Amino acid sequence: MADDMITEGMLDMFIFETEQGLETLENICLESRDAGEFDDDHVNEIFRIMHTIKGASAVMMYQNIATLAHKLEDVFYYIRESKPENIPHAELLDYIFEVSDFVNAELEKIKEGAESDGVADDLIEQLDKYLKKIQGGKGAAKKEEQAAAPAHAPEEEKPHFYIAPVASDSSHFYSIFITYSPDTDMANIKAYIAINALKGIAEDILFMPSDIISNPDSAAVVLEFGFKIAIQTTEDADRIMELINTSSGIEQVEINECTGQEFLEFCTEAESKAPASTAGEIVLGPIEQPTIRTDAKKPEAITLTEEEEKGVEAVKEAQKEKAEKPAPKKKKPAKKAETQSFISVNIKKMDLLMDLIGELVIAQAVVLQNPDLKVPGLDLSNFKKAAAQLTKISSELQEAIMAMRMMPLKNTFQKMNRIVYDTSKKLGKDIELEVIGEDTEVDKNIIEHISDPLMHLIRNSVDHGIESNEKRASIGKLEKGKIVLEAKNEGGQVWISVSDNGKGLKRDEILAKAQANGLLGNRSERDFTDKEVYNFITLPGFSTKKQVTEYSGRGVGMDVVVKNIQEVGGVLDIDSEEGRGSTMTMKIPLTLAIIDGIIFSVAGTNFVSATNTVTEFIRVDEEQLIIEPDGEEYVMIRDICYPLIRLNEFYHIAGGKEKISDGIVIILSYEDRKVAVFADGLAGEQEIVVKPIPSYIKKVPGISGCTQLGDGSISLILDIGGLVDKK
Amino acid sequence: MRTLIAEDDFASRKFMLKFLSKYGECDPTVDGMEAVDAYLMALEAEMPYDLVCLDIMMPKLDGYQALKAIRDIEQERNIPEDKQAKIIMTTALNEGANVNKAFNLGCVAYAGKPIDQAKFENVLRKLELI
Repeated sequence: MADDMITEGMLDMFIFETEQGLETLENICLESRDAGEFDDDHVNEIFRIMHTIKGASAVMMYQNIATLAHKLEDVFYYIRESKPENIPHAELLDYIFEVSDFVNAELEKIKEGAESDGVADDLIEQLDKYLKKIQGGKGAAKKEEQAAAPAHAPEEEKPHFYIAPVASDSSHFYSIFITYSPDTDMANIKAYIAINALKGIAEDILFMPSDIISNPDSAAVVLEFGFKIAIQTTEDADRIMELINTSSGIEQVEINECTGQEFLEFCTEAESKAPASTAGEIVLGPIEQPTIRTDAKKPEAITLTEEEEKGVEAVKEAQKEKAEKPAPKKKKPAKKAETQSFISVNIKKMDLLMDLIGELVIAQAVVLQNPDLKVPGLDLSNFKKAAAQLTKISSELQEAIMAMRMMPLKNTFQKMNRIVYDTSKKLGKDIELEVIGEDTEVDKNIIEHISDPLMHLIRNSVDHGIESNEKRASIGKLEKGKIVLEAKNEGGQVWISVSDNGKGLKRDEILAKAQANGLLGNRSERDFTDKEVYNFITLPGFSTKKQVTEYSGRGVGMDVVVKNIQEVGGVLDIDSEEGRGSTMTMKIPLTLAIIDGIIFSVAGTNFVSATNTVTEFIRVDEEQLIIEPDGEEYVMIRDICYPLIRLNEFYHIAGGKEKISDGIVIILSYEDRKVAVFADGLAGEQEIVVKPIPSYIKKVPGISGCTQLGDGSISLILDIGGLVDKK
Repeated sequence: MRTLIAEDDFASRKFMLKFLSKYGECDPTVDGMEAVDAYLMALEAEMPYDLVCLDIMMPKLDGYQALKAIRDIEQERNIPEDKQAKIIMTTALNEGANVNKAFNLGCVAYAGKPIDQAKFENVLRKLELI
């Protein structure tokens, strides 16, 4: 625990460790559920976890958690030491889960900055009873042993307390760098005025050079090297800027938010470097007496009366610091060097890096496809070589950053275990969860977006998919239901599927419902593919209605699930076989930001479509074109009929080719539907960086974003799903 | 309760002094060196401090060093554990590593700044100082 690598705040660390402990705890419990008892390793592990949580929460002064953890620890202490037989295992598991839930709930409160005010007295009492029960009947001997247990306790380490600071969250660290214009007089005094202004809002403040008041030579240092300040405050950067600007002569101010660690490093640095500005004469003896200061130092400086007092203090401080400088130095850097093999990085920084790479890819395209290169007769062979190298490096860079953001799905999947346990217990069903491919890695951003939908899908499977035990027995299925949670990589996408061996979706009933809701339009029921039918359950109104009528089937928040998945550019694929179960697969692209795209033009406007959505390009003759009486157009290619969208008509672009044989037809696919798009011609292929459509443009059907092309022009990115639906 | 406060920042020192004075005599010092001196003087006078509050970032001797010095002195003089001063670190450095380091050096509590008075008093009660 006492690891020097830990740089998070005390509270973060407590939350992290406790959450991990609880997770392990739950996993042990779920593992042991079928065994019906804990083996020795489990008992020891649980004892250890509860002991750790108890200790940590006592240090953090969360008495409620500590007491509860202590009680559970007692129970396991007894189990470990006395090894009682026939303990009611299921009951114990319930208690453990209740404890875990309580602690988790408290952690949530703590995370949100609220007080941990939950009361666990009932639970403690129940645990007490439970403990008595398993001890019961064992006679006095056991009682004694139990009495001996508390005697064990004192052997533990002395108690420690950590008093969390008030509103620690709102306190920020900033590093400030001020430069003064070279002709500024007494820059040191100006700097001090800034410091003085900041003192009002500072919880802690350090500056360099630190001898600005005591040493007139520091003016030159400030002018030459600038003035550095590190400040801890609850105010924001704007307020700091405002305060600094009260002093004159400032040329430039740079304010950067930094971490506590950097703040600390600044202190170290400040201490080590400060003497430099004083050069030779390190110790200025007389300064200790404030009186001397007034005459020894330049009198003009001391015109402000209020400043005077503070000045004295600062002088003293500077004096002190100077004197002891060498002592507290060395330590920290030495220690750092050996430990850091991992660093934790703020996700915002990673996002920024990702954005920058996007910009780099655009800039690269602008250079490599620059119109200036198109001068006839130019020898570009060397340029081409260099360009190839650049392209290679930038794509490697892109991959490296992607890899950095990748996280295994393990944690997300493990949470599902508990959900299956809880839900199935409540519903009185016997269900087993099998997890496959939990080491599959996906972007951190995607993990955040899929854990809710995944939970929905799992719940749905348990609740609606798997039949009740009796029902299963009566139709000759294995009584124990099974849900398989699987993740795998599949051609630039990650597929996460939840399949159950329950009753599956009933096509007829869904169709009937859709009919009643007027969703079928004028198509006949037989025209709908199974997938289209199943997709009805993802419509918002559809699901709730079914729920209200207690209609058996799925649909609890399926629209929310789909919306969540769509947010990360994914789709939900539903497959089912009546009576045999169903499979819900989330197909999510591995990356959201940079994709390969094919560019085509329509009357001077460029459109881009992701390369993996393009099935083929084909030139079509007039006779392959079928025009329906209502004006709808279709093209017949190798006996398959595709609906045709003319982009110039669709987006009302004037000009563009009209004759189908003059332009080119591009077949685009979305899930298992295909559409033919008619454009003037192909313009090229390029890595495109997806940028959202600016919010002042209202949502346009069939357009999912925009990007910048190599020649600097803007191109719209086609959203095939939208196009298909529109059609 | 006799309290020794080591704190280089004037405002914080004044705050601590005011806050803890209601529980008894408080002596302020401005750096770690002075704090250790004051601690020694009190020992000589056989009026040891019950509570020592140490800032970490201080000139001359930082809080860790002062803490270690005090514990070393106690060990050297064979002062029994229950007679040893209770030491609370008061600092803005809240990283886990710092906190653990301080605990390992033998402080009993670690208070992050700005100090939560209610919790601080709570700890004092637990330590049976008030």
